[in-house]
Amino acid sequence: MHFLGMDDEDKSSDNEQSKPDKMFTLKRWNSVAMWSWDCSTDTCAICRVQVMDACLRCQAESKKDATNKDVTCVVCWGECNHSFHHCCISLWVKQSNRCPLCQQEWSIQRLSS
Amino acid sequence: MNERDNFILKAKRIKLIEETKLKESSSMEVNKMDIDDRRKSNFSSLGPLSTSNGSISRGNSSNNAKGDIRKLVIKNFKSKPSLPENYQEHTWQKLKEAVVAIQTATPITYCLEELYQAVENMCSHKMDSQLYVNLTGLAESHVKANIRPFLAERIDKLLYLKKVNECWQFHCQQMIMIRSIFLYLDRTYVLQNPTVHSIWDLGLELFRDHIATNSTVQSRTVEGILMLIEKERNGETVDRTLLKSLLRMFSDLQIYKEAFENKFLIATKQLYQAEGQRKMQELDVPEYLKHVDKRLVEENERLLHYLDQCTKLQLIFTIERQLIAEHITGILQKGLDQLLEENRVADLSLLYSLFSRVKNGTIELCGSFNAFIKTKGKTLVIDPEKDKTMVQDLLDFKDKMDYIVCNCFERNEKFSHSLREAFEYFINQRTNKPAELIAKYVDMKLRAGNKEATEEELEQILDKIMVLFRFIHGKDVFEAFYKKDLAKRLLVGKSASVDAEKSMLSKLKQECGGGFTSKLEGMFKDMELSKDINIAFRQYIEGNANSKELAQFYAIGIDMTVNILTMGYWPTYPVMEVNMPPQLVEYQNVFTKFYLAKHSGRKLQWQPTLGHCVLKARFDQGPKDLQVSLFQSLVLLLFNDCNEMSLEEILQATNIEVSFDGELRRTLQSLACGKARVLTKIPKSREVEDKDKFKFNNEFTAKLFRIKINSIQMKETNEEQKATEERVYQDRQYQIDAAVVRIMKMRKTLSHNLLISELYKQLSFPVKPADLKKRIESLIDRDYMERDKDNQNQYNYVA
Ligand SMILES: [Zn+2]
Ligand SMILES: [Zn+2]
Ligand SMILES: [Zn+2]
Repeated sequence: MHFLGMDDEDKSSDNEQSKPDKMFTLKRWNSVAMWSWDCSTDTCAICRVQVMDACLRCQAESKKDATNKDVTCVVCWGECNHSFHHCCISLWVKQSNRCPLCQQEWSIQRLSS
Repeated sequence: MNERDNFILKAKRIKLIEETKLKESSSMEVNKMDIDDRRKSNFSSLGPLSTSNGSISRGNSSNNAKGDIRKLVIKNFKSKPSLPENYQEHTWQKLKEAVVAIQTATPITYCLEELYQAVENMCSHKMDSQLYVNLTGLAESHVKANIRPFLAERIDKLLYLKKVNECWQFHCQQMIMIRSIFLYLDRTYVLQNPTVHSIWDLGLELFRDHIATNSTVQSRTVEGILMLIEKERNGETVDRTLLKSLLRMFSDLQIYKEAFENKFLIATKQLYQAEGQRKMQELDVPEYLKHVDKRLVEENERLLHYLDQCTKLQLIFTIERQLIAEHITGILQKGLDQLLEENRVADLSLLYSLFSRVKNGTIELCGSFNAFIKTKGKTLVIDPEKDKTMVQDLLDFKDKMDYIVCNCFERNEKFSHSLREAFEYFINQRTNKPAELIAKYVDMKLRAGNKEATEEELEQILDKIMVLFRFIHGKDVFEAFYKKDLAKRLLVGKSASVDAEKSMLSKLKQECGGGFTSKLEGMFKDMELSKDINIAFRQYIEGNANSKELAQFYAIGIDMTVNILTMGYWPTYPVMEVNMPPQLVEYQNVFTKFYLAKHSGRKLQWQPTLGHCVLKARFDQGPKDLQVSLFQSLVLLLFNDCNEMSLEEILQATNIEVSFDGELRRTLQSLACGKARVLTKIPKSREVEDKDKFKFNNEFTAKLFRIKINSIQMKETNEEQKATEERVYQDRQYQIDAAVVRIMKMRKTLSHNLLISELYKQLSFPVKPADLKKRIESLIDRDYMERDKDNQNQYNYVA
């Protein structure tokens, strides 16, 4: 009736789980979650590096200054919802102002922070 | 005191008188004294009088230094005294009698001073050259006559040597006495005529020409000497004084080399050539080495006791050649492996010191040492049966070889270099596995509960591990496996020491650069950031306790913490959907909302396999705190509602098994078949079967209040390892790309070959040139670089 609910309508009984007759009570819960950029693809179509990693040019840089590369190499979402390294798409739009994936006109929706 | 000694004493007194006279008259410069002193060195065979360099010159040119002669000024006497007739004849007669007396060892009738005066007088009256001729004739005929006994046949060899020695000793003594009488002649006539030999040299010359170089005498003497030496080499005791005296005779007569040394060296060579071959057959290597060492000591003693020092180089060379150089390969093949295997430190030191005496000795030794390490090392690495002990075996092996280089091979740079080269070679004979096992070994050492080592000991172990790590070609394979274990240590809070973790990280950074460790460092950073997020989350909940939604949680009283991991830094984990109690699901949702509001553009993927919990359990015997995995607690919580559940029912309720093969069975096994059986399985057995049922074990007892129930780890399957390796290989492409771009960005333009060689310097894993070429082509396609229009072998960076 409580906790493991196939039937989770039965929310009223939730409070009873603190009653002393329970054989098991959850005291502490240590859970783990993995975060990543909310992108449709994991890989930047321009440099073919994971968007979670710094782009190819920034990786080439990182040996010289091992400073925080997440700050310098951000992810950029277009209005079309496609995403790339900001570095990569910035260079790309100098050539053609279209999204490399869907050919729509490129306009920035947001940058990662 | 016998007659002869008496005579010598007298002679010395005369010499003194004479020297005083010289000083008074001052007709000669005192420099003459120097000449006299130099001459004295010829009295070589006469005990305390002798000095080491008893040599005479053979030719007519006397060894009188020209400078000395120039300084001699002889003044004329004021008046010429007249002499009685027959003076010369008469006086010579007297002198001749005295010489014959000396030669025949009979008493001299004249007073020594008188004889000396007679010589001086004759010299003063220009009879010096005739006197010298007469004396020469007298001495010569005597020496000539002495040879007779030595030509007789059938004389015992030793006796013969003794006779020769006696004859020589007697000859020397005679010549000293004769010289004392004729001292004035020696100091005037001989000095003024460079072509004339001193009386002493004359004596030596006569002895050499008439006795010592007589072919019979010489060959018999040398034969005898060689026989004695051979006897001594065979372990007998021989008369070393006799040998020394005879060899000194050869030296003084300047025939040591021709008469003796050549034959001696040939005999030596023959002896040790045969001995070397024989002993190599008879003895094992350590015994053989000891024998060689003993031989060298003995021969050096021979040099000390009777051989001339000039023989030293050739003698020792001959032995080294015959006993060591000729058998280098034999010794190394027959015994080196065993010595190394059995850690025979003393024998190895001796081997090294003997081998360093001969040309190419240490080079050959080093080569065999290297081969041994490669062969032996390969057996440690290649056999999967030995994987469990591989790293410890490698560490022990390295320690052992290091110790041998330091203590037996004099820390020879060549050897330590060769040692490293051999390790690098064999450790890479098996792809990936050593790297993986080294990572696991480090994990074992860094894991909490490893109390066997103090901080310093741990540090030492890590340093040693780094030495092995340095040899590994696929360093990224190590990183992948290391990361897996590090993740486990961090997430479960199992790390033994933060300092040790940081220390290991900085060692890796130092070895491979910041790029290598940046993700590992990111993992530590995630752990720090998670702490802050959890504090903020708690404040958020407490601050909004009034809102209906959050108030619910607050009431539950679950202490929830979340570790937020950055994808890409951490290993990848299987994603699975399990059924959780709705409160937990909602708790997660609230957190997700909270988190994404703070970090736009992100998404969260929950990882239930990594979660763990503390459950309060109420047993009949009293309450306990159970430390369990999330899966274990999901199963246990089911028993709040049901007394007994079948495997099928549990599966339905949790959905664990469906998405992750075998996981539910393992979870149940850990709860019902392990050490702490909080569930009872029906029927009882070790394995979980389809039809099994489970009950809450009310009678559970335990000493401790807090109980950790270990979850049963799924054995890392081959597929999983393959997957890890596969990920490593994929990652290599990115690394190659990044390295190419990095190099090209810096150099702007570069030939293909230079680029490739730069890449090999920078990459921390093995790659084939063809693979590099593919990556370069891909980068050209993607406009990161281009081929030079004029030179196809040259690349330009595209900014
Ligand atoms: Zn990119
Ligand atoms: Zn970038
Ligand atoms: Zn698009």
